[in-house]
Amino acid sequence: MAGRRAALKAVDWAAFAERVPPSQRPMFNALKTRSDALTARLAVLPEKPPTIDWAYYKANIAKAGMVDDFQKKFSALKVPEPVDTQSAKIDAQEQEAARSSAEYIQASKARIAQYEQQLQKFKNMIPFEQMTLDDLHEAFPETRLDKEKYPYWPHKPIADL
Amino acid sequence: LLSSAPAALRALPPPPVAVGVLHATRQLHTTQQSLAPLPPLPEKGGEVRHGLIPEEFFQFLYPKTGVTGPYMLGTGLILYFLSKEIYVVNHETVAGACILAVIIYAVKRFGGDVAAFADKLNEEKMAKALAVKNEAMQSLQDAIEAEKKEQWRVEGRSYLFDAKRNNVAMLLETNYRERLMMVYNEVKKRLDYQVAMQNLKRQKEQEHMIDWVEKSVVQSITPQQQKESIAKCILDLKALSKGAHATV
Repeated sequence: MAGRRAALKAVDWAAFAERVPPSQRPMFNALKTRSDALTARLAVLPEKPPTIDWAYYKANIAKAGMVDDFQKKFSALKVPEPVDTQSAKIDAQEQEAARSSAEYIQASKARIAQYEQQLQKFKNMIPFEQMTLDDLHEAFPETRLDKEKYPYWPHKPIADL
Repeated sequence: LLSSAPAALRALPPPPVAVGVLHATRQLHTTQQSLAPLPPLPEKGGEVRHGLIPEEFFQFLYPKTGVTGPYMLGTGLILYFLSKEIYVVNHETVAGACILAVIIYAVKRFGGDVAAFADKLNEEKMAKALAVKNEAMQSLQDAIEAEKKEQWRVEGRSYLFDAKRNNVAMLLETNYRERLMMVYNEVKKRLDYQVAMQNLKRQKEQEHMIDWVEKSVVQSITPQQQKESIAKCILDLKALSKGAHATV
């Protein structure tokens, strides 16, 4: 019976827990409790039900043929396996997650590149002791005084002093 | 003769300058624009003697007139101005001399402290700017670290899907097993019911039979038989009582 017993992959909960960001911890805890409950339920049930002692019943039940009838029907009975509706959805979710995480990593790398660039700028700056005012305005453009907008000293709105 | 003297003097090698070497000065941009980074501005200005006359003047005159040259020139010039009355001594002179004395005393006494104070102000400004810069660099480092950590977290998403698939598999398996158990239980219940029914019927039949036999036996006891059995019992009792009397 293929597909009946998809082997359970061992999930390393400790490593999983490490990677969960603090904002999603409640969701992780809920998932874990659900998984544990399911494992417990599965562990309680035996894999095969106990066999019925047909000889005893054949000896003890007087009605002729009833036990044989039951036995025949019982062995002919096939219990239908439950249908798996969710695996496809999970696979779709996984694809989605792979895509969005690739995007996120891209964006993250771009951000890192930006930060690196700014860091390099800071590292390559000349020390403040050797800077002239022009050098300062070059390194930090926000310190430049706008002489067109505010032609009179102090060249910036009084509130900003 | 006079015109040849400068040429003859120029032919002599310049004497070695051993007194008072100047600090290195900034190179002037004499040629085309150079894109090399400029050397930093010097910390102190040019050396000055007596607060007025730059050291270069003394060095300039040193080869020709030695160490005392500029002083002789200065003294000579002052005496010339005084004697020829090119500079006239009047009340302003006295006033100027007093003011000069006070100024020189004040600078010599408080100059150091004022300079230190100004330097401290500048230091504070520098320190603040440096602190800002360091803080910015630190926050950038931390941001980079955080981004790297988030990337590492994202790598762990496969755990989530494994867990989900496990859950689904467990649910299916549990369901299947529950169904098997249900079938077994139902069949067993029915068989056990049959067995129990049989046993009950048997028991009831037995009890009924016993009752019926009892009843028929009791009915079949005719009055004649009853009298006979009672007489026999009395005889038996008498015999027993006799035997009992004998033993007592």
